Amino acid sequence: MEITVSRQELLKELTATQGVVERKTTIPILSNFLLEAEGERLSLTATDLDQAIRTSAPVKVKKAGACTIPARRMYDYVKLLPEGEISIKLLDNHWVQIKSGRSTTKIVGMARANYPQVPEFPSVDAIKISAAALKTLIARTIFAISNEETRYTLNGALLVIKAESLAMVATDGHRLSFVEKVNEEIAGVSGEKRVLVPRKALDELRQLLAATAEATIDFADDEHTLYFRVGHRALSSRKLNGNFPNYEAVMPRDNTKFVIVSAAELGQAIQRVAQFADERSGAVRMKIEQNELKISSSSTEAGESEDTIDTPYTGDALTVGFNSGYMLDFLKALNNEGEVRLEFKDQQSAGQMRPEDPDAEYRYRYVLMPMRI
Amino acid sequence: MGRIRILNDQVANQIAAGEVVDRPASVVKELLENSLDAGANRIRIEVEGGGRKLIRITDDGCGMNKDDALLAFERHATSKLRTADDLLNIATLGFRGEALPSIASVARVTLETAEPGSKAGTRIEIAGGKILHVDEIAAPAGTTIAVSDLFFNTPARRKFLRAESTELAHLTALVTHYALAHPEKHFELLSASHTLLSAPPVKKNDERIFQILGRDTHSQLLPVAAEMQLARAGLPEPPPWKRDPDVPAPVPGQLRLNGFFSKPELQKLNRNSIYIFVNKRLIRDRALLHAISEAYRNVIPPTSFPVVTLYLEMPPEEVDVNVHPAKTEVRFRQQQAVHDFVRDSLRTALVKARPAADFLSALDSAPTASPSLLPPAASHLPGLPESEPVRPDGAERFEGASQGTGNAARLPFSGPQHAVWNPSGLDSVPEFLVRASALFTQPLQPAAIQDSGQPSQDCSDDPFAAPPFSAGVQSPAPNLNALASLKPLGQLRESFILAVNEDGLWIIDQHVAHERVLFEKILRDRKVEQVERQRLLMPLLVELKPAQMVLFAQIADELEENGFEVEPFGPQTLAVKAAPVGLEGKQLERMLTQVIEQAGEDEARFGQREDMGTLRGRIAASIACHAAIKVNMPLDLKRMEWLLAELATTEHPTNCPHGRPIALNYSWKDIQKAFQRI
Repeated sequence: MEITVSRQELLKELTATQGVVERKTTIPILSNFLLEAEGERLSLTATDLDQAIRTSAPVKVKKAGACTIPARRMYDYVKLLPEGEISIKLLDNHWVQIKSGRSTTKIVGMARANYPQVPEFPSVDAIKISAAALKTLIARTIFAISNEETRYTLNGALLVIKAESLAMVATDGHRLSFVEKVNEEIAGVSGEKRVLVPRKALDELRQLLAATAEATIDFADDEHTLYFRVGHRALSSRKLNGNFPNYEAVMPRDNTKFVIVSAAELGQAIQRVAQFADERSGAVRMKIEQNELKISSSSTEAGESEDTIDTPYTGDALTVGFNSGYMLDFLKALNNEGEVRLEFKDQQSAGQMRPEDPDAEYRYRYVLMPMRI
Repeated sequence: MGRIRILNDQVANQIAAGEVVDRPASVVKELLENSLDAGANRIRIEVEGGGRKLIRITDDGCGMNKDDALLAFERHATSKLRTADDLLNIATLGFRGEALPSIASVARVTLETAEPGSKAGTRIEIAGGKILHVDEIAAPAGTTIAVSDLFFNTPARRKFLRAESTELAHLTALVTHYALAHPEKHFELLSASHTLLSAPPVKKNDERIFQILGRDTHSQLLPVAAEMQLARAGLPEPPPWKRDPDVPAPVPGQLRLNGFFSKPELQKLNRNSIYIFVNKRLIRDRALLHAISEAYRNVIPPTSFPVVTLYLEMPPEEVDVNVHPAKTEVRFRQQQAVHDFVRDSLRTALVKARPAADFLSALDSAPTASPSLLPPAASHLPGLPESEPVRPDGAERFEGASQGTGNAARLPFSGPQHAVWNPSGLDSVPEFLVRASALFTQPLQPAAIQDSGQPSQDCSDDPFAAPPFSAGVQSPAPNLNALASLKPLGQLRESFILAVNEDGLWIIDQHVAHERVLFEKILRDRKVEQVERQRLLMPLLVELKPAQMVLFAQIADELEENGFEVEPFGPQTLAVKAAPVGLEGKQLERMLTQVIEQAGEDEARFGQREDMGTLRGRIAASIACHAAIKVNMPLDLKRMEWLLAELATTEHPTNCPHGRPIALNYSWKDIQKAFQRI
């Protein structure tokens, strides 16, 4: 294999793929990029066996072929090279020579034959999804994914694709984040399609979406694998199999007590008060009473604190405890912008937060379970 | 007709002997108690063949005249008791008047006795209960009783005797403990030509412990002393209208406790190392054993037992020893009060001491027949101030020295790798067996200097001689109060925090440290009913066996108080609707099953349900264990600092609720020593 490629093109693709490469892998070949040159393109592959990203860049191919190069080392090296053409050449014993201007480097690679087979994007049945919608869906749910590895169906978000809407749900058992883009025409979907996307795939997808100008992406799946194609880059991910909890059942229906407050104001108040909450739980009390929302906390070690936000409310007074971290996550997903509506039923039942915006494109509901403090 | 007969005295005595005398050690016990009751100050015990061949006990007590001496061998003849009322107020060790005739009925006994100032002594020979000779002899004041050929006429009994060494070990343990209880008396125990024990009088219990058990054991022990005014004493008073106005109301006495308890790192697999003396009488009492276990609960594992020597003093009418002929069982009139008093005193002392586990002793702490368990030559410590008990610190400091004597370059890490907590290990041999067997090869030397006013320097070639020992020059032992001043350096394999301060290097187990912090917080929150609970979005379903469902019903209320909202959900499933903060998913499920399973085990083992306090502690321990940070978890310096600071504020920073040690100290001195700097 022998090619010449512009440093800028190469670096762009390396940046897009290197996130998949596992730093601490026990299988050495997985810390390598796979480079394949054919025709006028160089295709680049990285995988950790669960996720894989395949991308390509235009190159001048002197001699077709394939090689593997340690990903981290190559990425760091190419970053430091000056702008210009880079030539990459496979030598004997899987060594790879990288030349640019007056810099010459030989990197020790591994045999291409050892590189695992990466699933190919299926040629049929791709569904087109709006890139912007998916981006928002991920940003508003990814933080609610459980970090606890034992309940693996919670280690990802559920993507629900319908002919006229696109929705995503994530939960960790204490709170649930649901966001739906309605009036979204999706061709080729009959009924409802539900897939569980692992957190790492969502992370990668988010980065691919951030780096693309495309309006839509392709989505497909088969029995074990999910495929996303963003422009010329393709992400494949192992599917999470299993039953995602029945999220519709836990969505509160009769939370009739509500207040509407500014997201920024609420966020600041919670942050201040949470300083004095129990260190482990971060529990704060939300108290709604006559035209006021009071946020308070106390702990035997730190002291106590209270903030009051004026807001129209005429119903019965109610005090509910919540984990302050969970509420801040939600406000952060809204960039602390606009107004939010806090809806409660009683001390025992789930509370709900949602942005107060009558003509929003997205239906966003954030359910969180109360704490007793 | 005539089927019912009155047994002759010989048979009756042999029956009584069955209860009182079952092995050489019990003969020694009876005779020793007689000597102590006779006010002897010097007691010398010689045994041969593990006591089967000969037991000779010589004292300088009050002696007897000829008539008394003859009468002493009659059944129910005693000088210690006259009326039944005296039974309520027994100040002597013996009182039944059974021991001598019982012993005389199963052995050949020679009694030589003389009262101080009398012209001649008496010598009586008895074999199998029959008096053979009565002579006048010349004898020093006091009594000498020689019991030979024990059980010569009861072959069945003789067959049940154990090996000579076993019998000797029992005997040694017994004498040792009477010596511990009576520091002001001189005890000697000789087997054939060996000296097994030689304990000249000392002033304090503490010195006696050092003298007999040696420096290493002593260094592992901490003193405890407490006192309580009893609200009432003796039998319940009659109602006021029946009270005799002339008799003043009895003065309620004091309940006094002093003694020694082990640091949590010293653990035994059975209760054999717990010795309780009530009014100087060695007893076994379930309630007191329980009180001791309670004091150590959540400090050492439930399957381990501490080393404790307790001296309880109370008004004689508060304790009834007339329960069993062997007199090792007693009844307390106010059992609950005594139980709580012992438990609380020990607990308080434990909390106060906060002893830090020493690195070397943690490595070597399993009881083996290593030199460190040999009682060193008896040494007298008169120079110590009366008020201050000998602090274990000093001795601890020298531990490295004594173990390294033969091999100065010995690295501390190369010591036997005995974990402190070693339930399956080989250390189930009762300590005294080990000690006794070691004694055969290493006879004790009498104290070299006894009353010179200087700390004794043993001039023999005993390599374990006590080093100069003065309380003044020692810096205080590493104590866990120093935890707050620790500076964390980093982690060892992301599991142990390494930290330093003036005392040296500390290694802290991050999981158990956090566990202890959480445990105390949970108990605190539980007490004020402020457990923070997080409701779950979807109930967590936990499958149980039918029997476990029953157990669950028993502890459901307490779980509720601890922040769980759990409801039965079908016949074999529980639905968890809320859980204490910090417990999630799998951990929550595991914790719950564990708590329920253990409830079942305890019930199966003890046949009774555990009390609420125990259950509460167990639930808190289980929550803490599952919510705590695990090993193999990277921590940044800030979190380590936080953890150490939190740990410093806990009550028991020594051990986790399951009894594992939290922090080990590798002292500056040991480090210097290991590098041959000093």
